[in-house]
This record gives sequence, C-alpha cells and structure tokens, in this order.
Amino acid sequence: MEHFTLNHHGKGEEGEEEEEVDETLPLGLRREAIPRHVAVIMDGNRRWARSRDLHVRSGYEAGARSLRTIVELCCKWGIKVLSVFAFSSDNWFRPKVEVELLMSLFERGMQEDTGIFLRENIRISVIGDLAKLPEALQELILNLEETTKNNTHFQLIVAVSYSGQYDVVQACQRLALKAKHGLVEPGDIDTSLIEQELETNCSEFPHPDLLIRTSGEFRISNFMLWQLAYTELFFAQSLWPDFGEAEFLKALLAFQQRQRRYGG
Amino acid sequence: MKSLTPPLLRCLCLNRSMDFIRPKRMLYFWIDKIRNVLLRLSWHLVHSIINLCYFTTGMVHALESHLISRGLLRKYKSLHISKIRYLAIVIESEDACRTSNVIELLQWLAALGIKHVSLYDNEGLLKKSKDIILEKFDGAVLFQDTHENNVLLDQPRMTLEFVSFYDGKEAVARAANVLLMKYIKSGGIGSNQGEQIFTESQMSEALKTVGSGGPEPDLLLIYGPARCHLGFPAWRMRYTEIQHMGPLTCMTYGSLIKAIYRFTTVRQNYGK
Repeated sequence: MEHFTLNHHGKGEEGEEEEEVDETLPLGLRREAIPRHVAVIMDGNRRWARSRDLHVRSGYEAGARSLRTIVELCCKWGIKVLSVFAFSSDNWFRPKVEVELLMSLFERGMQEDTGIFLRENIRISVIGDLAKLPEALQELILNLEETTKNNTHFQLIVAVSYSGQYDVVQACQRLALKAKHGLVEPGDIDTSLIEQELETNCSEFPHPDLLIRTSGEFRISNFMLWQLAYTELFFAQSLWPDFGEAEFLKALLAFQQRQRRYGG
Repeated sequence: MKSLTPPLLRCLCLNRSMDFIRPKRMLYFWIDKIRNVLLRLSWHLVHSIINLCYFTTGMVHALESHLISRGLLRKYKSLHISKIRYLAIVIESEDACRTSNVIELLQWLAALGIKHVSLYDNEGLLKKSKDIILEKFDGAVLFQDTHENNVLLDQPRMTLEFVSFYDGKEAVARAANVLLMKYIKSGGIGSNQGEQIFTESQMSEALKTVGSGGPEPDLLLIYGPARCHLGFPAWRMRYTEIQHMGPLTCMTYGSLIKAIYRFTTVRQNYGK
C-alpha cells in the first residue's frame, strides 16, 4: 500500500523547511515585523476640504472615515495599539465655531461607534487635559473608557486637548502629589518614575514603534514628545482623509525595511 | 464459489474507498503545494519590486544631490538661510567618533551661514570629542547655557552646543526634582488633585537651572540608518522640522542644501 502524508505546513517529501507566507497579511508584510503600537498625526482635514471647495466640516467627517478604516486594518493586521492626535492644546486657538464643530464631531463619533467598540473588543482610552472639554463630552469619555476597559483585542488611544509638554508636566505634578503624601522622596525622581506617570501608561505598549504624520509635514508638533525618542518616523504626503489602506501598507513596509536603534 | 464473508466484504469496500481517496489526496496535496509555491513567489516578487523602487529612488536622490552640489539646479542657488536660527544635528553614536565627517559637515554649515548648531549623539561621544572638534574647526565657540537667545544670534562666529541623552530625558528628571523641591519648600500650596501645580514655563526654567535649557531648533537633521531622533531633548522639539539624511558616511553637500531648501519653503501654523 502506498502512503501519502499531507503536512499542513508545506514540508516536502524530503522534509525541507519552506518559508511560510502569512495569508492574513497583505503580500510583503511579515508578521514578526508588524509594529505593536502605531501613532498617527491626522493632519490635512481642512486642506482636503478647501481643495474641494467644501466646508471644513466635510474635511473632518472624511477624516473620521479614514480613521475607521485604519482602525479596521490595525485590528485585521495584528497591531495592538493605535494612538491618534485628534486635538492638540494649540488647537484651542482655532476659531470658536471650528472648535465647537470638532467637539460635536467627537461626541457624535463616540456615541455612534460605541457598539462597534464593544462588538470588536476594542478598548478606548482618551488622553489629554480633559477638564477643558465640554462636560457632556467628559462624561461620555469616562463612560466609554469604563465600558471598554476590559476589552483586549485592540486599544485606540485618542489624544484630545493634549500636548507632549502637558503630558510631562502632569506626570511631574502627579509625582509632586505622591511626594506630598510620602510615597516619593524628593530627589528620587528619575526617568522611569516619570514614565510611569505619563498618560500613555494606560497602555501595555506605551511607546509607539511607528509614527505616521500625513499631509507632507515633517514635524511632530508637540505630540508624545517623551514617548517618541526611538520611534520610526514616517511622513506621508497624502492628506489624512486620503490616507487609506495603500498608504498605510506603504508606511508599514517602510517600517519593516528600516533598522531600528534603542539608544544602542 | 466461496461467498464473501463480512470481514472480507469490509476489506474489499475499504480497498475500493482507498482507491477513491488516494488520487483525491494526491490532488489536494499538489494543489496545496502549487498554491504555496505561487504565494512564496508572489511574496518574493513584491519584495523585489519594493527593493527596486527603493534602489531607484536612491539613485535619483544621489543624482539630484550631485547636481545640487555642482550648482546646476537653479532653484537651490539662493537659500533663505536667515530662516534657520538654530539647527540641530543628530548622529548615530556608531558614527559619532568620525570627527572628520563631523568637521566637514560643520564647515559646510558655516559656509552656508548657519549661526547656531546643536550636535547630538545618544551616548555623548561628541561631547567627549568637543575639544578636538573645536580645535580642528576653529570657526566656532562653545554654547554657554547662560547665553540669552538674542546674544546667540548676534555672535559673529558659529555657536556649537554638544548634547546627549543626559540633556534629554535625564535632564527633565533633574528639572522635575528642582520643581519638587521648590514645591515642598513652599508648603505644597495648590495641592488638590486637578489643580495645576506646575506649568510648562516653570519646567522650561527648571531645565535652564539644571543646565539643559538650550533653544528649540528650527530644523533637525538625522544622520543615521534609522529615521528617529534617538532621544534628542524632546522638550525642545515641539515644532522642529525633522529631516532624515541617511548615514553620516554617505553625507553629501547636495543633500544638505536640499534639506535646508525644503525647510525654507515650509509654512507652519502651529496648530492654529
């Protein structure tokens, strides 16, 4: 009787090792080189709207759709954390009408997508100086964080009213309060104590592996200043509403191509 | 004729079904094999295309850099250098000992009229070599932290600052200790949760106190294989333009001109 053995990992008759292709990833991406934490500065919504003679609201709504696409791709491709710079401390100086529009869009987006977050096992964390936000939005954020805190498949960190300098200062502030209660000795503050108090400590992977900034600008604009020390920087030319799967794949492939250093 | 006994019948049925299953299994085996081969070929093809794209892009950049160095591209002939008040250079620590490359880079920058340069490497090797660099590059003075910004800009010679990880996160930790001491000495007023105890300007002042209060660079050039700033004092780079230049050993005058030109065409709105 002849025997044939089917080996599901594709070994030939001679038992040669053959390279496995991960079919859940687009061609070219390697599973072991997928970043765990990706950060995005979502720049270009207003320019996108202006270039189409549309109201700035359309730009932000298109940007929200782009964000949903990227979240889906992150979940599909095994990225564990996505941080997005939604509203910086400097953005408070924008026209009041525009700021109110953005706050209402945040509120609506969180309400509409709560079901998706729960269904897809997504944890939501919001970082930034939330005391400046409208009270209704603050309450919504607290409820959403509480509701999703045990979700483990993917974490979306939304930075609102945030700046990197604010994050460092609030970390020092927390340490000062701990010192007042005798939990920290004066003179004992070091880099690891500050790290523990940064707002990104809500994540298992607080330091982004890859930062993407859209719209062709080559700066980090006060986003996660402390956390980005060894993060690969990718500056994409397209505006945020146009940043889709192809562009995201390009960023991930560029990340895989580069060597990384960790202060070594 | 001997009748077929049940065991014999079962054996015959088994053999018949094995006759059906065997070719089917062979078929699935070969389909699986061919599919794997095709997938692997596609994967290698994609990677080859990507590598070819990077190679082509590299060649184009090299040619452009050569043409810029020769002054053959008109648009790079006049640079608005006055837009760069402070320039930072980040160098991989592995290359930081190549003082001849560093000095050549500084000479190019001096020729272009750049007045203040911060030289950074994570491990502080450039700091250790600063005497050698200042001796061999006699067009510069050492940056003193006590200089006010307007004094820096008025210097006829280039001001050089040597920076390392000690001036980055570690400096922020030292500054935090300074703030904490002041807070405790003041009795801890404003100490309720949620009230602001420290401000960003207080942190900036504290950084100056600990000797790490340099200016915010307008442009930061990264010389190294990785496109990351390797721990350059983050407090100082909120709105700094960042350009990756490739390894220090591959630096060219043309790519430097191109990076500076690009910076001078940028318009920032600082989030507003």
